[in-house]
Amino acid sequence: MRLTNHLNQLRRVLVLGIALVMMFIPMGGALTAPDDHAGPAPSVGLVCETDPNATFTLSALPGYISMADGNTIFMWSYGVGRDDFQFPGPVLCVNEGQTVTIVLHNDLPVPTSMVFPGQVGVMANGVPSAAQFDGSGKLTSLAQTVAPGGSITYSFVASRPGTFLYQSGTNPGIQVQMGLHGALVVRPALGANFAYNDPETEFDPEDEYLMMLGEIDPLLHQAIERGETFDMRNYKARYFLINGRTFPDTLAPNYASWLPTQPYGSLAHIYPYDPVTNPLPALSRYIGVGTEIYPFHPHAFNSDIIGRDGFPVKGPGGENLWEEKFSIPIGPVQTTDALWSWRDTENWSDTNPVPIDIPSDQNLTFGLFWGGTPYLGNTDTLPTGTTTFNQCGEFYHIAHNHALQQITGWGVVLIGQVTFTRIDPPLPNNCP
Amino acid sequence: MLIRRSKLTRREFLKWSSGLMAGVLASRVFRRPLAKSGEIALAASPSAPSAVPDIHLAATDGWIYLPGQVPIPGTSGQYYNPDPWAPDGLTTYMFGFRNVTGMTTQQMFSQKMHSQASAPLWWVNELQDYRLRLSNLGLQMRPDLIDEHTVHWHGFRNAWPVFDGEPHSSLAVPIGRSLDLFYKPRDPGSYMYHCHFEETEHVHMGMTGMVFVRPAQDGNPYTHNGRTFTKFAYNDGDGSTGYDREFTITLTDVWAEAHWDDAHVQLPDWTSFRADYNLMNGRVYPDTLAPNGNSETNPWAYDANGYLIPPPGRPELQWQPLSSLIEGESGERILIRLVNLSFFTHTMSTPGLKMRVVGKDATFLRSATADFTFETSHYIFGTGETADIIIQLPTVSTTTKYLLHNRDLRRLKNPGINGLGGHMTEIRVHPTGTLAPQTIPNTNPRP
Repeated sequence: MRLTNHLNQLRRVLVLGIALVMMFIPMGGALTAPDDHAGPAPSVGLVCETDPNATFTLSALPGYISMADGNTIFMWSYGVGRDDFQFPGPVLCVNEGQTVTIVLHNDLPVPTSMVFPGQVGVMANGVPSAAQFDGSGKLTSLAQTVAPGGSITYSFVASRPGTFLYQSGTNPGIQVQMGLHGALVVRPALGANFAYNDPETEFDPEDEYLMMLGEIDPLLHQAIERGETFDMRNYKARYFLINGRTFPDTLAPNYASWLPTQPYGSLAHIYPYDPVTNPLPALSRYIGVGTEIYPFHPHAFNSDIIGRDGFPVKGPGGENLWEEKFSIPIGPVQTTDALWSWRDTENWSDTNPVPIDIPSDQNLTFGLFWGGTPYLGNTDTLPTGTTTFNQCGEFYHIAHNHALQQITGWGVVLIGQVTFTRIDPPLPNNCP
Repeated sequence: MLIRRSKLTRREFLKWSSGLMAGVLASRVFRRPLAKSGEIALAASPSAPSAVPDIHLAATDGWIYLPGQVPIPGTSGQYYNPDPWAPDGLTTYMFGFRNVTGMTTQQMFSQKMHSQASAPLWWVNELQDYRLRLSNLGLQMRPDLIDEHTVHWHGFRNAWPVFDGEPHSSLAVPIGRSLDLFYKPRDPGSYMYHCHFEETEHVHMGMTGMVFVRPAQDGNPYTHNGRTFTKFAYNDGDGSTGYDREFTITLTDVWAEAHWDDAHVQLPDWTSFRADYNLMNGRVYPDTLAPNGNSETNPWAYDANGYLIPPPGRPELQWQPLSSLIEGESGERILIRLVNLSFFTHTMSTPGLKMRVVGKDATFLRSATADFTFETSHYIFGTGETADIIIQLPTVSTTTKYLLHNRDLRRLKNPGINGLGGHMTEIRVHPTGTLAPQTIPNTNPRP
């Protein structure tokens, strides 16, 4: 329906344009992470927070994020160090076998805690992390809490590789939905370019992506900001996010300056599979942090489901039982590791044309990413006034939640869980 | 979604919305000299070098019949469903596709406001060159909307944007225009297709259907468990996915408020989505059991106007032609191709019968090193997923009925009606000799 808000359209166009231009600012330039210990961040792909000793200082903080409809949402989330609010919490990357230490400072007005689903032997201030009960036997927290203004230290051995998350263990219905969650990546002993200790799980380290799927009920956040209580029976998610952003902000680079508290983009940027120059697949690490199963559907490729919840998908004899999926269900607190690639199976080009007639320009409308021809690496003039962000005949394919109410946001269409895959022509190419 | 320039003046555009004028205007507009690669003719004789399309789909709006009532909150005696603006006997405003292959131009234009639910079923052979033509007839009820349409073959591996139908990365078809799409599918299995333009609205409004790919192995005899098959779900090499009859089940839902909104020039907040109706192949139980519209030998038959032919005695199901009734004979194997294009995850159940899941998302559940097909009595799958399920029918001496239904019991209800409804159909097992061999999916031919 075309009766949507013109301002929103304008914003969308502007953000898309800026995002695509910013993608090509050289690494190490303006796009450095705000944390000096994080170093230059790639404009796309997974951004790791690392430490040689796997020791991290985090703060639970209040802050604000922006939705693509212009709304601003009050959040609780984790920042690196003592004052860098960001949402979601930083992606902590550690190596299998390391002892992970997290010092958490609580700068929220309520007690909080952290739990690490999938990890065993977690210690909190030197004693086993465990559910807490009051004198009457009533459950008060899933882990030892830290009072406002205090700090607590968690530690555990990252005993197996995979994709995990961390989140609040205190009043989690409220606190996790308020934003207290983040990703934890454990690299296998086999090497950082493998998902698991299995040579078949090798991926291209330049094509590693975080896909953290979440949601927001703005009325919950408003109530917490006002210091009011919120009845979870009234919970109704209205915004649906990837890595803490709504579309089209999802396409903006990591650490985009106009999204100061939402550092993680989710645009994937790959080359076609080639047995010599590009033999390795991309790896997407999906994490569900909402309340529902999100059926995520990347166009144009199937994904090999190689791991769930940090367990490689293998049979009793060690054989791979990888399902190949075009719609991937991502449940709450579930993680899914998926290998994928795009192959040029047809080799169409202007000398080997597609076997149809393309109608004349006035008989079609063109997408914002259409380059003017069907061919990878080719561009052509579009009618005057047509907007295109295509730069060098690269391909784009949408990747989105297929529960299509969840690609909208609070009455505005197409600002939900949507991102894109960008496929560049093989090198050498004319891309900037 | 995206505001694009109209190629027509508003005045012309409003005239376009008139069904009476559409054909006349179309012939004028389409005869304009074109600058590039030549005109895409809407008639059935496209100019060379385009091959004649294997299927020609037209996108438009329409009305269907859904039983029961969904009241408008805060009113007395007013209903989202049945919509008071619906034609006699019909209840619910839809967008959708029609199969107009072989129609005259006049017949095709007469299909404006005669879409069907669910969308026409079609299939392609592995490695077949297949051309689909999409024509946009416009939306009769909404002359203010100049929505383009597309066809997205959901799940097509290594798709090229030009044929993917996602309008940001590709082309879309304005009202009165056509576009050809080309497919050469390499992977057998069950898929789905839908319009991707303003997808939340267009998918929910009904532009959804199934497409599947037959394996190259079809036609070659393979014996499995003592029975020889020539039709298979996948290239199994051993007949283990062989079947006697096949049925497609596409799950969708209808939020009555959103459909009323579209007819009445209103906008819903899609995050408030709810399913008032739960549809199988465009109908709710017990209408799912009604026979196919048209005929058992040609499910795409149409009358002199190009209109669909309703099932006998059910004129209100004229625009919902696809039956979900599953019939087989004693000891046969049936293949059920499940598609979920609703907005929710569902669990389908066959009490008393075991399902063997042999494929998911158009992928045979067997690799070079492992067989992970599995048996179950409930299959859970989410939006945008497909499954290929083989059911071994029991040996019977009299007709025996089983059910295929959603285990989420909220989905087995039609609003305002006592008793069962929604996502349910029957599996009827007959003694040998009751049925003729099946050549077209979802048909139950008699000898």
